Amino acid sequence: MKQHLGRQSGVQSVDVSLIDGKVDVTPKEDGQIDPAQLLKAVYDSGVTVAEMDLTARGKIVKDVSGNLALQVSPNQSFAIAHNDLLKTVEPLADSSAVVTIRGELYRKPAGKKKTAASTPLKLLILEVQKKE
Amino acid sequence: MNTRKLALLLLVGFVFAPVSQAQIKHIEMRVEGMT
Repeated sequence: MKQHLGRQSGVQSVDVSLIDGKVDVTPKEDGQIDPAQLLKAVYDSGVTVAEMDLTARGKIVKDVSGNLALQVSPNQSFAIAHNDLLKTVEPLADSSAVVTIRGELYRKPAGKKKTAASTPLKLLILEVQKKE
Repeated sequence: MNTRKLALLLLVGFVFAPVSQAQIKHIEMRVEGMT
């Protein structure tokens, strides 16, 4: 799995801890990495992802339907799921402010043994680390 | 370079600078079934 993940575009390094089942992925300097592609790569290697957390820096933007998203590059953004922490970043929508957010991007649905993440990934904010 | 072009360049710089600094810093996964 480590080799499989290491071959994905944008991956700088992969650390796997067999004891606690943790996989740390460090993106390359440009940060151009696709989490959905990583999920698929793990799934393809025969392992189930129970949870995926992400730390990303970007701008809060509003999409056409008024939902908030974290834009991490001109062509990559993550829709933000509703929770209490969403309110803390809501005033920054469509401003030039840059925030660093740690959030949960994927959690395996309860009761299902093994599924590929087919639904669009939504970012559930766990922590707003920095506002600039 | 005339003033108008310089102002436009600065404006474009301000608009795109924050996004160009944006990026994914780290990804952590918890997996099951790993041997």
